[in-house]
Amino acid sequence: MTFMEALAAGFTLVAQWESIAFLALGVTIGVIAGAIPGMSATMAVALTLPFTFALQPIFGILLLLGVYKGGIFGGSIPAILIKTPGTPASSATALDGYPMAEQGRAGEALSMSLYASCIADFISNIALILFAAWLASFALNFGPPEMFTLIVFSLTIIAGVSGDSLVKGIIAATLGLLLATIGLDFIGGTERFTFGSVDMRGGLNFVAVLIGLFALPEIIAYIRNPEAKKHRVRGMGYSRLKWPDFRRSLKSIFRGSAIGVFLGAIPGIGAAPSAFLSYSEARRASPQRENFGKGEVEGVAAAEAGNNGVAGATLIPLLSLGIPGDVITAIIIGAFMVHNLTPGPLLFVNNADIVYALFIGLIASSFLLLIVGAVAIRAFRYIADIPSDLLFPGVLVLCIFGVYAINNSIFDVAVMLVMGVVGYIMLLLRFPAAPFLIAFILGPMLENSFRQALLMSRGNLEIFVRGPITILFWCLTILSVVMIIRATMRAARLKREAARSASRVAAEPKA
Amino acid sequence: MKKTLIALTLGTATAALAAPALAEYPTRPIQMLIPYGPGGATDLSARALATALTPIVPQPVVVSNRAGAGGTTGSVAVRDADADGYTLLFARVGSHTVNPAMNPNLPFNIDEFSYLGIYEINPVACVVNSNSGITSIDDLIAKVNDNPGTVLFSSAGVGTLPHFGALMVLDAYGITDLAENVIHIPTEGDGQALTAVLQGTSDFYCGSTSPAAPFVQSGQMVPLLVTSAERIDGFDAPTVDELGKPELQALVGWTGIAGPAGLSDEVTERWGEWLSAAAQDESFMNFMTSGGSVVQVMSPEESVTFINDAYEVFRRLVIELDLEID
Repeated sequence: MTFMEALAAGFTLVAQWESIAFLALGVTIGVIAGAIPGMSATMAVALTLPFTFALQPIFGILLLLGVYKGGIFGGSIPAILIKTPGTPASSATALDGYPMAEQGRAGEALSMSLYASCIADFISNIALILFAAWLASFALNFGPPEMFTLIVFSLTIIAGVSGDSLVKGIIAATLGLLLATIGLDFIGGTERFTFGSVDMRGGLNFVAVLIGLFALPEIIAYIRNPEAKKHRVRGMGYSRLKWPDFRRSLKSIFRGSAIGVFLGAIPGIGAAPSAFLSYSEARRASPQRENFGKGEVEGVAAAEAGNNGVAGATLIPLLSLGIPGDVITAIIIGAFMVHNLTPGPLLFVNNADIVYALFIGLIASSFLLLIVGAVAIRAFRYIADIPSDLLFPGVLVLCIFGVYAINNSIFDVAVMLVMGVVGYIMLLLRFPAAPFLIAFILGPMLENSFRQALLMSRGNLEIFVRGPITILFWCLTILSVVMIIRATMRAARLKREAARSASRVAAEPKA
Repeated sequence: MKKTLIALTLGTATAALAAPALAEYPTRPIQMLIPYGPGGATDLSARALATALTPIVPQPVVVSNRAGAGGTTGSVAVRDADADGYTLLFARVGSHTVNPAMNPNLPFNIDEFSYLGIYEINPVACVVNSNSGITSIDDLIAKVNDNPGTVLFSSAGVGTLPHFGALMVLDAYGITDLAENVIHIPTEGDGQALTAVLQGTSDFYCGSTSPAAPFVQSGQMVPLLVTSAERIDGFDAPTVDELGKPELQALVGWTGIAGPAGLSDEVTERWGEWLSAAAQDESFMNFMTSGGSVVQVMSPEESVTFINDAYEVFRRLVIELDLEID
C-alpha cells in the first residue's frame, strides 16, 4: 500500500459516524472520570477496556484514546474549583487555578485550561505523526543514567515553586523525598520505615498524599475559622477569558507542549513531571513572575499544556517500538493485541490503514475535546457558586470517598487525613506544598534510576556522563542552579536595600 | 396498612435470618480484589474474566484493585476477610509462588487461602535483543561464562516471576554463583523490563510470553526458549523439552481465584462451574490467547497441587542458590 492509499483507507475507516461517536463517547467518559477525585484516567481506561473487545478494532482503540485524552483534561476541573486535583498531573494546575477561583475567576481559569489542553493535545498529535521515528530513537537512547540526570535537572523546578523562601522550599522537598522512601526497597526488596505494618509495605499512595496536601488544609482552615469565607460570594463561574491574556499565554502553551512531547516520548516519566516543568519554565520566562502561585492565568495555561502535551507523545514509543510509555498505553496495547494487531514497527507495514485512521482520529479528538470540554465547564462551573458551608463538607466527603476508591483501603484515607494535618501545619508555617509534592513524585524515579545505573556499571560513576544526553542535562542543571543563586542573591539585595531605605524613611521625620 | 407493613417487615426479617441456611450462594454481590494496579497483566486478565463472568454469575461481580508491595497488601486483605465467598482474590504466580518462595518475611502463607481454581497459565520465554548477536540459549550461556559479572537481566521487580525465572534458567544451564556472575536490574513492570532489553540496558529477560509477544513478532527481539510443553505460535524457539531441560517446565506463570481459608463446598462447586463456563466465552478466550496465555481451568484440588508443587520447586532452588530476600 502506498502512503496515499493507506491514508485514503484510514480516512474511510474514520469517516464513519460510529468512529466519531465512539471517540466522542470516550472523551465524555474521560472528562467525567477525570473530574472525580480519586478516579484517574488510568482507572477509566482500564474500566473501559473490556467493552472494546466486542467492537471493531478502530472503534475500540478510538474509544480508549478518547477516554485517555478526556481524562487528562478532566482532572483540571476539580483542581481549579475545589483544589482537589482529579489526577496527579493536574496538581500543577491547582497552584494558580484555585487562587483564580477564589478571586471569582473560575470561568476564566477553566476556559484557559481547556484551550491550553486542546492546543497542546493537537501539537502533541502532530508531533506523533511527523516526528515519531525520530523521537522514538531518542527514547531508545534514554536509559537509567539519562533518566537520572533528567530527574536531577527537574528537581531544580523546586526553586520556581517555593514562593518567598527557597530554604523553606528545600526543607519541604526534603520531607517529600523522605516520605517517598517508605515501603519496599525497590532494588533489594527489603522493608523501609514500614514499622511492621502490611499497609506501609506498599508505600504511601500518591493520590492520597496529593489530596491530603492540597485539598484538606483549605477545609481545616475553614473549620477553624468559618467566618473568613462566609460572606464572600465567589460568584465566579461567569468570568470570561480575555483575548490579551490568552495571547500572552500562547508562548507558554507552545513551550509546555514541546516539553510534554519530549517527556511523553520517553517511557516511564508521565504527565505530572511534565506539567511542573512546563509551569516552572513559564514562571521563569514570564514578566509576571511575581504573580505566579497567586492566580496567574499563564500558570494554568503552562501546567495544562505540559500535561496534555504528553498525551499524543506517549503513543510514539507505543506505535513505533511497541513500548508502553505509561500504564495507560500498556492497557491500550491490550486493546491492540485482542484484535491481532501488534503495536510496533510492523503495524506500519501490516496495518497502515489502522495507523492512519488512528492519526486522523487523534486529530479529531483534539477538536472533540474542545466541544465536550466546553460543555463540561458549563456544567461544572456551578460548583463555584455553592456557598462555602455546603461546598467544604461536600468536598471532604468527596475526598474521602475518592481516596478510598483508589485501593478500597481505609489506610489510604488515614494517610490522606494525616497529610491534611501536615499540610495545614505547613500552611500555618508558610511552607509551600508544591516542592513537597514534586519531590514525592520524583523521589522514587531519582532513586531507582540512580541505583539501576550503578548496577549496570557495577558501581562506576562514569556512567552518569556516558553520552551527550547526560552531559546536556548536567549543563542544564548547572545553568539553572547558577540562575537560582543569582536570583536569590538579587532578591536578598533588593530586600536589604528596601529595608535600608525604609529605615531611612522612618528616620527622616524625626530629623 | 400499618399492620401489613409490620407483617412485611417481620416477614423480611425472618427471611433474612433464615437466608444463610436456605438461599443459595450467592445472595449478594461478590467482591474480587486484584492485588496489583490497573493496567498490569493481572488486572487485564482479571477484568477480562469478570466481563465473561457477568452473564454467568447470578449476582454482580465487583472487581477492584488493592495494589501494593508486590501483591502482598491485597492478599493480606483477602486472607483477613470473612470466609463466606463474598471476598475473593485474583491470586498470581508472583504473589502466591515466587514472592513467598523468595521472601521469608512475608506477612502471609500460601496455605492460608482456599483455592477455587487456576484459570490461566502463562508460559515463560527468554528473549534477547535481536541486535545482540545471540540466537540460542547456548550463545547466552557462553556469553555469561566468558564475561562473568557483566551480563544483565531485567525483571518486573524483586520477587517477581522474571526475577526468579532468569536465575532458574541459568542454574539449569550450570551457571553457579549467580549473585556474582549476572546482574539483576529490577524495573517497575514487565513493560519496563522489556524496554530495558530493547534499549540495551539489559541483555535478557525471562518472563511471561504475553508482554514479550509484540517484540518477538516484530523481530525486535529473539526468543531463546519457551517453557511450554509444545511450541508456541509466533515464538520461533525450542521448548525446554527439546533442549533437554524438562525441569524448567515448572517455570510458568498462572492466575487463579482464591479466598480466605475455609470456604464452603458450595462456594467451591459454584466457582468450578462458573470458571468452566467462562472459559467458553469467545471474546475472553480471544483476549487471553492473543497474548500467548493458555486458558486452562483447574479444579480446586488440581490448583492446590499445582501451586504447592511450583512453590516446592521454587523454594528448594531459592535455598540451594541462596536467593532469599532479607
